[in-house]
Amino acid sequence: MRTAVSEFERGSCQYWMGVRKVLGAKFTLTLVLLLVTVTMMAGTNIIVLDNGASTIKAGLANSDYEHPRIIPNAVVRSKGDKATYIGHEFEQCQDHASLHYRLPFEKGLLVDWDAQKAIWDGLFSNQCLGINTTESSLLITEPYFNLPNMQEVYDQFMFEEYDFESYYRCAPASLIPHGNLFSEPDLPPAECILIVDSGFSYTHVVPLLHGSVVWRAVKRLDVGGKLLTNHLKELVSFRQWNMMDETYIMNDVKESCCYVSVDFRQDLEACRVNLQSNSIVREYILPDLTKDRRGRLRRAGETLAEIDQVLLMNNERFTVPEIVFRPDDIGLEQPGLAAVIAISISFLPQDLQGMFWSNISLIGGNTKFPGFRQRLIDDLRSLAPVEYDVSIVDCVEPITEAYRSAFAFATKSDGQLFKAVAVTREEYAESGSNASLRKFATSDWQAGGIDHSTSEAIQARPEEDRTPQLKKLSRTRSKTVPSTSTSRRR
Amino acid sequence: MVKKTRERHARKAAALPGLDPEIIAKRKKRHLDELERSNYSEPTLLNTEGDGEPDGTTKGRARQTISDKRDFERPGRKKKSTMNIRTAVLYRKNLSTLIEESHIAEYPSSVPTYLTAVSPPPRYPPRLLCSICGYWGQYKCKRCDMPFCDRSCEEVHNETRCERRVM
Repeated sequence: MRTAVSEFERGSCQYWMGVRKVLGAKFTLTLVLLLVTVTMMAGTNIIVLDNGASTIKAGLANSDYEHPRIIPNAVVRSKGDKATYIGHEFEQCQDHASLHYRLPFEKGLLVDWDAQKAIWDGLFSNQCLGINTTESSLLITEPYFNLPNMQEVYDQFMFEEYDFESYYRCAPASLIPHGNLFSEPDLPPAECILIVDSGFSYTHVVPLLHGSVVWRAVKRLDVGGKLLTNHLKELVSFRQWNMMDETYIMNDVKESCCYVSVDFRQDLEACRVNLQSNSIVREYILPDLTKDRRGRLRRAGETLAEIDQVLLMNNERFTVPEIVFRPDDIGLEQPGLAAVIAISISFLPQDLQGMFWSNISLIGGNTKFPGFRQRLIDDLRSLAPVEYDVSIVDCVEPITEAYRSAFAFATKSDGQLFKAVAVTREEYAESGSNASLRKFATSDWQAGGIDHSTSEAIQARPEEDRTPQLKKLSRTRSKTVPSTSTSRRR
Repeated sequence: MVKKTRERHARKAAALPGLDPEIIAKRKKRHLDELERSNYSEPTLLNTEGDGEPDGTTKGRARQTISDKRDFERPGRKKKSTMNIRTAVLYRKNLSTLIEESHIAEYPSSVPTYLTAVSPPPRYPPRLLCSICGYWGQYKCKRCDMPFCDRSCEEVHNETRCERRVM
């Protein structure tokens, strides 16, 4: 990229030498200055990294990466291939039987740094993104309510290992206001947004007011894609084939067959009529692992080869995603997603609650089940006060929504917006993790302890006098929240 | 006669110590923990051969990590990691230790944390589904409290899943 710009610069300089005689020196000088600024800005790449528990969505904040590279966030060992695949290498995997997964995330938090480092190393390497981290900046997503001690490790990795010029870390939903999910032409951005982020580990309900997360109203449902796949695995293994070791295959079965029922009673009855042929049942042809053939759904009227093994998907198709709406079906003592949303909204200012009911959107791969949105609307309608509208803004690509919002944020006004919030290498060298504690305070959950009126006042301030405000904020913070230094002493 | 039958019923009910809710809760928790696992069967030494032991230690050599094993070419890469990074990579801590060390349990109640963000228990009673076929579970096993829907599922349950010990 750098060479391209400098060539362009050289070429245009020669061109302008010729024209200078006509236009005069003053104009050329302005142009040269302009070119210099262009080169300086092109020097820093911003890497956008949505670090999910199941997949990493990553790219550079330039026009080539409006759609991210998506790689599994796992170190996978294949028995058949006798090989270990780290993150992006997984696409080379040929044998998908009995894969062993080593996942950096556990229950929504990053616990295995060894695996995560290997995957990140591969991602930044020439085999994948091919970037020099010492000349780049980073925007990375972290888990909701990431632990303070973990945040420190994030900081250490970004500056001590990868040596980024600057970096910004925040929860995925906090980036959504920068994307175009809620933006409408000729209208100011929505003030009240409620994001349902249903991912691999958990489902979070995250309300945002004036573009920042209202942490005290964020609620979690302990159901995610991992639990659903495991539950399906268990059902199928008990009823038909033993699939307990086939996470990869069962995840594909889940993604291709499962749906959310809008009428659970009726569908459950329909399944009882005839176990082989009813309106619900589908046949999934299991992959032939001797011939490297992928599993797929059997099309209507398709003849089966003799060796094909078929998995019948009957009520498993909808009882599995049903857990998001009725966690008690597997004995998890939590209310369904709609009720969790209602609980979250009850923590918000009374006069704004109506706005939240009507500005809901769904992100995360788990929301891709057909019927998810309709079912949620139905369930919400029965819980919402009659005077409020319930509406869910449609998200076309829920998996990459957070990435694309982050991308928009990083590219907005030439990266100035990003620059204003990011911690620089120098700041880290001077005060360590305290630098990011101070700088990320406005978006971090630990700021949730501050009286809400103060944080709103900060939001309302114009952009330019934000820095002194931030300092003031951190002072308030240290009074209400035990700072890291005090916790260390304990 | 009628009185006698009633008495017998009463005695029977008393003899059943009542299915211990604690054991049932434990079973539920174990099941939920199983649903969180990344792999059903943990790797044996056989299939990780040549890969060092699964916990990252190899006899006679220093601890080796997967991030060290694969040497990815990266422009501007440093040669040596700092102490903090080595500690994070080499000494994996489990989730409960990490949560304990973060001291989030000691935060004032006004600050929401990972621990308090979880949604409260539901207000409605649980819906029972047959543990065998997935249909409504109208009946429960007398011995282990698992729901089932009809006679045939009950039979399957007795033969396979019934945990007789909750008697």
